[in-house]
Amino acid sequence: MNSLKYFFLLISLLSGTYGFAQKGISAPANKYSTIRQLTIEPGIGIHTNFGTDFLVTNLVQWNPRKHLSIASHTSFNINNITQRYFNGIKTDYNYSINQKFGIGTTFYAKRWSHTFLLMAGAKYTTYRETLDDERFDKVSTTISTFSPDYGLMYSLKKEWKKYFFTYRMYVPLYPWPIKGSDILYVEGNIDNIALEVGIGVKIM
Amino acid sequence: MSMKKRAVIFKGMSVIAVAMMLVSLFGACKKEAFDSALTREFEIQSTANGATYNIKVGLPADYNPEVEKYASVYVLDGEENFDFVSNKCREISDKLAVANVVVISIGYGKDRSIDYTPTEVSSVTGGGPQFLNFIETQLIPVVEENISVDTARSSRIILGHSYGGLFGSYAFTTNNKLFGNYILLSPSLWFDNLISLQFEKDNRGENKDRAQLVFMGIGETENSGRMQAPFEAFYQILRDNYTHIKLEKNIEANLGHMGSKDPNIVKGLEYYFQNR
Repeated sequence: MNSLKYFFLLISLLSGTYGFAQKGISAPANKYSTIRQLTIEPGIGIHTNFGTDFLVTNLVQWNPRKHLSIASHTSFNINNITQRYFNGIKTDYNYSINQKFGIGTTFYAKRWSHTFLLMAGAKYTTYRETLDDERFDKVSTTISTFSPDYGLMYSLKKEWKKYFFTYRMYVPLYPWPIKGSDILYVEGNIDNIALEVGIGVKIM
Repeated sequence: MSMKKRAVIFKGMSVIAVAMMLVSLFGACKKEAFDSALTREFEIQSTANGATYNIKVGLPADYNPEVEKYASVYVLDGEENFDFVSNKCREISDKLAVANVVVISIGYGKDRSIDYTPTEVSSVTGGGPQFLNFIETQLIPVVEENISVDTARSSRIILGHSYGGLFGSYAFTTNNKLFGNYILLSPSLWFDNLISLQFEKDNRGENKDRAQLVFMGIGETENSGRMQAPFEAFYQILRDNYTHIKLEKNIEANLGHMGSKDPNIVKGLEYYFQNR
């Protein structure tokens, strides 16, 4: 059942982006405004772990050629923001910082663009939990860890003069399949798919 | 580049992406089944809760009931874990050149959230006492009567993950004479306001001087605000209060609740085989 669930989720995500991209392709190619452009796209988002993580993100994208995109994505995540005390367990802090760079391609429509990027970088996660129940001794545990972070990013832009609305989806591929080939390893990836929205601006 | 050419390129890229995902997924789904010639299967109906449990027994390759008594590993979530645990026990015992164990996996009778939780906090929890009673009074006697296993407490192991780990801790704290070895993986010790820690405290006097082996494993990215602190607290309590315990913990790097399960099963079994 798990396999099927993951399979349909992946296919659904892919179909969604494919649908957007098809819409883009069908529009006249010569009407988009800027090909070589540098954009800054701050945004906010959530992870797909029931929306308990809050993300503040930024994408800087440069298109040196029509179909070549280079990007830098930064994300500061406040994790488990909605439940800081549960059954005698206190979350003192819980955040992660991701920095990735990527390369990919962009397809254009009249006021839309669709960018697909392969991203790679690093992720730093740190959190601290404390057992805070008067019946027991207080015990705290701290985890701080660096890990690779690579995956696929889709970015949709809807132009509005110099500014544009942006929607991004990032599907992490680490730790799977590096850590093992079992389907269960995908759990961490599925939980950490990032969905982001923001307002971008063209710098040049 | 023409529209048509661009569309063809895009479609090609999409097909490749889908193909890669499918290959990866189907590859990931493939699990190695345990040797069927060494597998026995039967059902037992619990007198405590009425449910019927499918029991699978994985025998060592050189199983010889005439001359050898084997240790027995009781595996929760048996339908998911039987093949993996049986294969790993064989690999690890071969690698260490030590006697293998008999693996007894317990399939689902009632919902796992009923069977593996010790107290009732909702309509789908609280069947742990009946399930433990079933293991003690029905399953273990049947196994020990029909399979050549060592009947000493020190030769019985219980292995569970998540709610299964919680159930293992429940067996440890409330019926410690049943199992001598515990592999507790990502145990849900947060359950019912840390009830496992309370059980441990209540029964510490009776349990703390018994010889036992406990392996505790968890994933490093289990950061949902409920797993790590009670895990560490339980570990520290055992370390500081139990005089004859062989104790180990492992935090599996960069893996979550489900992803850390199999690596921690391997590490837990290795620890058992090396320290029993």
